[in-house]
Amino acid sequence: MALVVPNPPTQPRRVKVYELRNNDWFDRGTGYCTGQVLNDEPHIQVKSEEEEDRLLLETRIVKDDGYQKQQETLIVWTEPNGTDMALSFQEPEGCAAIWDFVSHVQNRIMSLSSADDILSDDNEALLYSVKLPKPELSILANIENMMHTLTINAAGRDSLAKFIINDDYIPKLVPLLDTAEDMEMLPELFSLCRIMKIIILLNDSTIIEYIVTDEVVMGVVGILEYDPDFPTHKANHRKYLSDDTRFKEVVTIDNPDIKKKIHQTYRLQYLKDVVLARILDDPTFSVLNSLIFFNQVDIVQHLQTNGVFLKALFELFSSDPLPPEDKQRRKHGVQFLQQCSAIAKNLQGPSRSQLYANFIQHGLFNVIDYALQNDDPATRIAGTEILVCMIDNDPLMMRNFIFKQIQEKTKPLTDTLIELLLSEQDMGVKSQVADAIKVLLDPNQVQPLEGIAKMSEMMNVVGNATRRPPGAEEGPAEVFFTSFYDKSAKKLFKPLSDLEGRTIESLSPHESALYTHLLELLCFFVRHHLFRNKYFILSENIAPRVAQLLTASEKFVQLAALKFFRACVQLNDEFYNRQLIKNKLLEPILNIVIETMPKDNLLNSACLEFFEFIKREGIKLLINHLVEQYREKLAEITYVDTFSSLIIKYDQIHDTTAPFSADEEAGSRSTVNGGKRWEGLKDLDAAEEEYFNGSDDEDEVEYSTVENSGKRIKTGGKTPASAAGSSPAGGKSLVDYPDDDEDVVMDTTADVNGEASKDISSAGDEAGGIENLNIASRANSVDVNGEDAAASSAATSAGNVTPTPSSGTDDHVMTGSLPPTPDRLSEKRRREEEAEDDGMERLLRSTKKRSPSMSKKGSVVVPGVTPAAGAAGKKISINFASKGENGKKKEKEREKEKEKEKEKTEKETENGEE
Amino acid sequence: MSDLDRAIEQLRQCRPIPELQVREICFKAREILIEEANVQIVDAPVTICGDIHGQFHDLMELFRVGGDCPDTNYLFMGDFVDRGFYSLESFLLLLCLKVRYPDRITLIRGNHESRQITTVYGFYDECIRKYGSANVWRYCCDVFDYLALGALVIGAGSSVQPTRLVDGEDAEAKVREAEDEVEIEVIGLGGVVTRQMSRRDAGMINSTNLTPSALPHLSSSGPAGALLTGVPGTGASGNSRGIANANTPANTGGAVLCVHGGLSPLIDSVDKIRLLDRKQEVPHDGAMCDLLWSDPEEIDGWGLSPRGAGFLFGADIVKQFNHLNNLTLIARAHQLVMEGFKEMFDSSIVTVWSAPNYCYRCGNVAAILELGEDNSNSVLRSGGEEVLFNRENTRRLASTYMGGSMKRGGPGRRYRVFEAAAQDSRGMPSKKPMPYYFL
Repeated sequence: MALVVPNPPTQPRRVKVYELRNNDWFDRGTGYCTGQVLNDEPHIQVKSEEEEDRLLLETRIVKDDGYQKQQETLIVWTEPNGTDMALSFQEPEGCAAIWDFVSHVQNRIMSLSSADDILSDDNEALLYSVKLPKPELSILANIENMMHTLTINAAGRDSLAKFIINDDYIPKLVPLLDTAEDMEMLPELFSLCRIMKIIILLNDSTIIEYIVTDEVVMGVVGILEYDPDFPTHKANHRKYLSDDTRFKEVVTIDNPDIKKKIHQTYRLQYLKDVVLARILDDPTFSVLNSLIFFNQVDIVQHLQTNGVFLKALFELFSSDPLPPEDKQRRKHGVQFLQQCSAIAKNLQGPSRSQLYANFIQHGLFNVIDYALQNDDPATRIAGTEILVCMIDNDPLMMRNFIFKQIQEKTKPLTDTLIELLLSEQDMGVKSQVADAIKVLLDPNQVQPLEGIAKMSEMMNVVGNATRRPPGAEEGPAEVFFTSFYDKSAKKLFKPLSDLEGRTIESLSPHESALYTHLLELLCFFVRHHLFRNKYFILSENIAPRVAQLLTASEKFVQLAALKFFRACVQLNDEFYNRQLIKNKLLEPILNIVIETMPKDNLLNSACLEFFEFIKREGIKLLINHLVEQYREKLAEITYVDTFSSLIIKYDQIHDTTAPFSADEEAGSRSTVNGGKRWEGLKDLDAAEEEYFNGSDDEDEVEYSTVENSGKRIKTGGKTPASAAGSSPAGGKSLVDYPDDDEDVVMDTTADVNGEASKDISSAGDEAGGIENLNIASRANSVDVNGEDAAASSAATSAGNVTPTPSSGTDDHVMTGSLPPTPDRLSEKRRREEEAEDDGMERLLRSTKKRSPSMSKKGSVVVPGVTPAAGAAGKKISINFASKGENGKKKEKEREKEKEKEKEKTEKETENGEE
Repeated sequence: MSDLDRAIEQLRQCRPIPELQVREICFKAREILIEEANVQIVDAPVTICGDIHGQFHDLMELFRVGGDCPDTNYLFMGDFVDRGFYSLESFLLLLCLKVRYPDRITLIRGNHESRQITTVYGFYDECIRKYGSANVWRYCCDVFDYLALGALVIGAGSSVQPTRLVDGEDAEAKVREAEDEVEIEVIGLGGVVTRQMSRRDAGMINSTNLTPSALPHLSSSGPAGALLTGVPGTGASGNSRGIANANTPANTGGAVLCVHGGLSPLIDSVDKIRLLDRKQEVPHDGAMCDLLWSDPEEIDGWGLSPRGAGFLFGADIVKQFNHLNNLTLIARAHQLVMEGFKEMFDSSIVTVWSAPNYCYRCGNVAAILELGEDNSNSVLRSGGEEVLFNRENTRRLASTYMGGSMKRGGPGRRYRVFEAAAQDSRGMPSKKPMPYYFL
């Protein structure tokens, strides 16, 4: 019954180690001896009993070392280098255990035909063959113990797994369940359950695949019902899994293998989510996940090529009239397709496109049409979900489809969605439809190169003859957007236009939900459809309508309206700014501040942030307007200094004696990108500096506070007396960067305002040129943090840490001690897991992740660790917008731990987007 | 019984409430949360809790140990969802309590209260499983956007009323006589007081000696230092006010900042947080992101975070920040600590972790942090409290606080350590299986 061959004896045995020196046995010390398998090689190891970390002996067992066992407690041998060694065990048992191990290994080696070279065969040599007794209730405890011992190391686990497979061990265990249940032998049932857990946690995919087969699955989950951790509970896994009605077979699948696979996949999921949820370790979790994934791929691949099946499936939706029971089937049909789409997200790009192509060919769009107009909310949700999946997969394909609809003068899908959004009563569906519209109209979804390939593919699919020759000015995407703004947008935003003349009092929940969605979409368009949207907003006179909503009694509607104006201001686009001024749209926002102040609520904060942004960015048009129109109002708002700063800024701008007045013109001409960012530099001038420094409250040292706009960390390097300088926080760099050459220069320079934008402070003025240079170089080093593309515009973007992984180009800036910069996004997910799980360990670890502190010298400015406003800021916000939608899906995919390869590609794709 | 009370009852039994009701509660919560400041002001006494992570049964255990809402004033520092199998029930229960007792429970946002993170770490899937669509997830995520970013606890007392030690009346008398106030008290598993530290003695407790065996024998203590001595070599305890203030008596006006992650290089004052527009998905960087993602670490200044978001910040940063903002302590969550809580940087910052046996396998204990109110002039103890004291140890003890002038900053703080709920009380935790399948 015992193992034919022992595993490495891992139980430490007390032993003295001797070495023969000059014919004398030299005592190397006392320690604990174990047999080990290191790098697949058998070793004997002795750890000092005094210092656990010290190894007294570490020797590989080889064929001809002449091991001898002497007396009961002594093992003697010769090391390959000729040294004679001896182990003197305290107890004979210990000696015997080690000796068994040694002789086993040597026997193994001898028995191999190519015995000379242990290395070439060491794998073979290490496959301890394992044999367990035939399971019987009476010896379960024994078996459990033996298994437990075996699982201590990898080799034992491997051989145990092999044995269980080869010996058909599981089918031998399963019948014991019935007996034990009949006889109500609880300890045995618990023992069985523990054994089964050990077997599953061996994490062998063959075993896991096997336990979900029809043959044994009920027995296995039955055994797992008696969890000793919950002695008073009994699960009902068997009952749950044997319920056949859970499987909804919309259309008969005639391939028995596939059908089997479907059931098995479901069982795997059940195992993962329910039976093993609590005990799963990460490796087993990922084995389960990958099994599930591969099964699903197989299933989907099979179905999409099964013409008969597809035909039957889609015919469900074409036949009228509809008997009532078919309605249910149709619903299931839609849900089936939804599940397919969900699985498709995990497929490789080409096969995913192929899948959709097949579906479309058979009439997927009809199904979506049917679903979207269905009176059952669940069906509508499923429909929009499929749609969102398709848009995510290939927006171009969708746009081409809509393009075709436009050509054929049929109602484009966009309009269907818009109507749905406007009329939908189910809030959940409404918000999903709003998402779908957003994704569909996301210009960033177009990936030109890939797009062309897909486009042609797609065109074949829909058989569209209107494909334009390459180079044609109006591609389908153009037509699509033009048509949207010519026709659809009006429909979409009609509720906003209709506000004209209406006094906003109380809105119904549906109205307010609708307005919130519309405003969100509008913000999205402001950010992403720069030109078309501008004219739309102008021609429809949208901005004043939105301003009306600022007076809604629902604060969240007010907030949503405010976001629109914030998005406009963010662009720092003269067009929008003039609109705001012309219609006096800042006034209602100011009024909100006055109404809510000094109450510190969300709405109030959002308004403050709005004005803070104008102030920080020094948007002169708006500052002029504000101060000229509302000077008194502004002056009265004293609970924060934002408004007094605006006035000061205004006065500076208009102070003709100031040296910078010449720049005023330029200031108002600013463009979104590049150069203008430096304009702002002049704004934070000496006077303001003085203002801040003069203030007795150090807090007032101005730090820019809002994400998505550049950050300015002021340091005290320039004026030691300045408030910031006296504070450690101010004196520290944001991130400790290595002292590279460029930094040295920086250290001596004055206050640099990292805020990308700009502000060269008064001192900076003289040294402006140098400072620019420095900022540029800083930007480079900050770029270590992950900016790549923007590196080209380093000087202006001044070092953004974007969620992009650090690219190779930045590496040169890194010096040894700077920890590699995490890719902020994908790392966030991975790390987060690690960081949290290993939180304690990490905390306790004394290694200090300290990079050389340039802060010693006091003052390195790290220009912005957030994206600067403007160019970079915009870039980020785009990311957000698209992340919100497809980001989440992508992450989910990642979570699902599919094949590494694919994951990698995916990550790259995503990174690429960022 | 109102619908809301019924919903609370149902959720307490770990049963989800209907989708429509979720929507309604989320809308109501939105109305309440929109009125809250980015940094919500909370009056002591308050019980501060860290990550929950969907461990519903352990949340119930927390309420058992810390007292029920609304009897106890609670502050939860985010990460209600993900990882555990009952994110939905846990979050909804807290949200219902918020709607029901808006002034007795404060919820602030954690990094997991985000669309992006919840799609990866379980909450999204859970909603799909439990409701068949993402609607509920959407409603909840909308609420996330309205959650406050932090809280400022004001009026916390400088010492805790010592809980009577297990070994007798004597000890209590000693404590009361002792001139030193108890700055830190740790109530370990089973409600046993495992540690009391006077302000003079209190060192940075890293809670490694939390075992009952570390229980002090008061009889052997000197007259003034009647209680446990702190960890050797850390005599400079309780000084969380920065170097500048080391010698000035702390004033009780000092507040405790509660935030999920930590500080941000962009935020040098609490007021700066007020200038954020928090109604958005947690960004990938910037001040709002940092508040939810950063971690304290033994470094100087700021460092890159291995999490890929937020920063690491050192003792100097914390002390400086506390000094500038007249804070006596920063309480934060976000990192698993095996002992449930961990004070760092001379007790200027503490990590509180409230998810015992995290992920059902980490083997850690959890803790909550009680800050008492500063009623220096109040009667020391009433008979009523004695009665309470005589009940079983695990009962929450009404805490009153010793008067007298403070010697150092740092509020009096009582940590209650607790374990995962007994297995039997919860059934077998598992995710909800998919009700049916097509593929």
